[in-house]
Amino acid sequence: MNVVRFLLQNHTQVLELTLEHLWLVGWSTAFAMLIGIPLGIAIALRPRLNKPVLASANIIQTIPSLALFGFLLPVPWLGARSDRLAILALTLYALLPIIRNTYAGIRGVDPAVVEAGRGMGLTEMQLLYQVELPLAVSVILSGVRIAVVISVGLATIAAAIGAGGLGEFIFRGLAMVDDRVILAGAIPAAMLALLADFGVGWLERRLRPR
Amino acid sequence: MSGLSLGEALIANQTGPDGIVSSWGVALTPVCCAEMESGAANPVIEFRDVSYRVDGTQVLCSLNLEVARGETLVLLGRSGSGKTTTLKLVNRLVTQTSGEIFVNGSRHSEVDVIRLRRGIGYVIQEVGLFPHFTVAKNIGLVPKIEGWKEERISGRVSELLQLVGLPLEIASRYPHQLSGGQRQRVGVARALAADPEILLMDEPFGALDPLTRDELQRELFLLQKRLHKTVVFVTHDLREALRLGSRIALMEAGKLVTVLAPSEFLKSDDPWASAYVRAFGDGLESAANRGAS
Amino acid sequence: MTLSKASLGALILWLVATLSCSPSHGSRIVVGSKNFTESFILGELIAQQIESHSNLKVERRFYLAGTYICQQAMLAGRIDIYPEYTGTALTAVLKQNAGSDKAEVYQQVKSEYERRFGLTLGPSLGFNDTFAMEIRGEDARRLNIQTLSQAARFTPHWRAGFGYEFMERPDGYRGLAATYGLHFAEPPRIMDLGLLARALKDHQIDFAGGNATDGLIPALDLFALEDDRHYFPPYEAVPVIREQTLQQHPEVAFALAPLAGMVSDAEMRQMNYAVDAQKRDPSDVVREFLRVKKLVP
Repeated sequence: MNVVRFLLQNHTQVLELTLEHLWLVGWSTAFAMLIGIPLGIAIALRPRLNKPVLASANIIQTIPSLALFGFLLPVPWLGARSDRLAILALTLYALLPIIRNTYAGIRGVDPAVVEAGRGMGLTEMQLLYQVELPLAVSVILSGVRIAVVISVGLATIAAAIGAGGLGEFIFRGLAMVDDRVILAGAIPAAMLALLADFGVGWLERRLRPR
Repeated sequence: MSGLSLGEALIANQTGPDGIVSSWGVALTPVCCAEMESGAANPVIEFRDVSYRVDGTQVLCSLNLEVARGETLVLLGRSGSGKTTTLKLVNRLVTQTSGEIFVNGSRHSEVDVIRLRRGIGYVIQEVGLFPHFTVAKNIGLVPKIEGWKEERISGRVSELLQLVGLPLEIASRYPHQLSGGQRQRVGVARALAADPEILLMDEPFGALDPLTRDELQRELFLLQKRLHKTVVFVTHDLREALRLGSRIALMEAGKLVTVLAPSEFLKSDDPWASAYVRAFGDGLESAANRGAS
Repeated sequence: MTLSKASLGALILWLVATLSCSPSHGSRIVVGSKNFTESFILGELIAQQIESHSNLKVERRFYLAGTYICQQAMLAGRIDIYPEYTGTALTAVLKQNAGSDKAEVYQQVKSEYERRFGLTLGPSLGFNDTFAMEIRGEDARRLNIQTLSQAARFTPHWRAGFGYEFMERPDGYRGLAATYGLHFAEPPRIMDLGLLARALKDHQIDFAGGNATDGLIPALDLFALEDDRHYFPPYEAVPVIREQTLQQHPEVAFALAPLAGMVSDAEMRQMNYAVDAQKRDPSDVVREFLRVKKLVP
């Protein structure tokens, strides 16, 4: 249990790096939700737009993360600070699951319910806020959960460009050829991902329509 | 109303002040209201030369139809006859390709569609209750967005639950906790919440078991006697049509074939009508029975 | 729908909590270093000096993978100090051309860092860790060459090896080859810095791009060719410090002042050798050095 001892001895640094990691994941997920959920709602209500939007998000997803970091480095304001860059890249990667799940969640609402609502005289906005969104919340959250788990993983790579976070332990450990340091980064990162998966998953289940 | 049949009189004696939920000691078949004259002075709903075409298919062809105040007009036909489309044209869930529809004298394309729909109750086969709302919230949704006060809404909810024969404690339950029959009763209650003049019903009892269906048909009939709404009711079941309709509009392949009172329908020479009668076999007379010969 | 409202509230609360985790540290100084031996020896030197001359707690964040990573960590406030070389700062970070005057280069870097980044330089530690193009001692003696210009003639017969950063940097291989007319038969091999000296010794390569303070130069009988055309800018080792850190903890400046000019080329080579070849613990090596130099009581 060398690793455990190492983690305990260096708990301040572990905590610090974990907070840095959360900083990257937190901001990027927040931005991805701010952009992705409204976008998902928009394409759910106007299906004609769905192909270009989903296709773009898909393309972004296929770019390897390290490559995307590399692309963005020369960009003036962004590339100057690697944490800014990392947050942008992580936001982009989080978009697809969030947009897609928002779209699927809203389209997946029972059509009979939507028809009844419309026939009752609910406006499009009322239908959205009172009926479709509450019923889609669980699916949307599932997209957020996927986004968070992906982000926790990608944020470890962000350390390669100097954005900090638990990945820094991993890269430093590799340079030092020291397993304990590598694991001191890898284990908390894995635990963060599991925690996020569990936590958001719990919320999903609570909000699932009966 | 003149000409109350024996059946009607018996029922009237057996129902209590709330009109419903009395013991069905005597198994009498409900009898429809006295026949209304078609083409009454101010039709509530009027179709003039309405056609609807979608994806290259002519779904409705030159439909001309009037629905009088307080009547129950049944749109009868098989699948593909255009009856559901006709219904949906009334609350503009579907927009006609040509022709005009008038609701209470106004061209309905000129009226705000939201206001139009708020004044029309809509009940569908799948019910479409909002699964995340309690029964009370389901029923009270339209009143709420219309700005009614809380007490008024809860009062109305209780009133409606009684009207459709549901116990008051059901108000705090969720749709998934209800049986099919209970759900559809809530559906009807919800449609009536804002006291609309018109009620559109699209095969509302089609998904229920025969016993429940029978129960709800009877209750709807009594409800209608009490409330005198203008009802347009879609079905493919002739028995149901004979039971509930003041007039039956038979549709086939997007065209209106004939509009007849139930008793006339049974005797009709019209090829489609008689085909229908034959298809449904025996025992139809009792459904259309209007009492003593 | 109070339940889901409460749950959404929880979600928002989580987000707000993580967003407020901005990187910062209280009364600790974080010292960084790059991921090669000399860098973390210097990092350790800075760390121990601060520890022994102040009440501050020092945290070490060594083995950061390169100049860019360290610079970013400084800008983001994740580290407070790290050892850099004036020549590297000038060409790789500031992206300017380097002169050959040590004092000039130091001043240029200092003022630019202060102006652009809110970072400043501590005093130079003394040695000049410039790039040293190394050949085997036996070759140097046999061919009687001491300078790069003299060696250029032999390059078509030699294989060369360089570190990754040297190949990519603007002040690296390309400029060198152009200045001295080096024409290697094959493209140079890119190798890990730590392996270059050994590869040279073992005849896998004949010409290595190492550093002047390589511990293995004397140990393996390697010869560092003179840069007679002054291609390489000076690479004085300096601590780069966040101005904010100095403001909050002025004792850091006092702690580092005695280090000025304290480490000669030879002493640096010795410490490198102790860690690389003798596999001694870097903190022990540094502690010994500080004691010998009477920098610690």
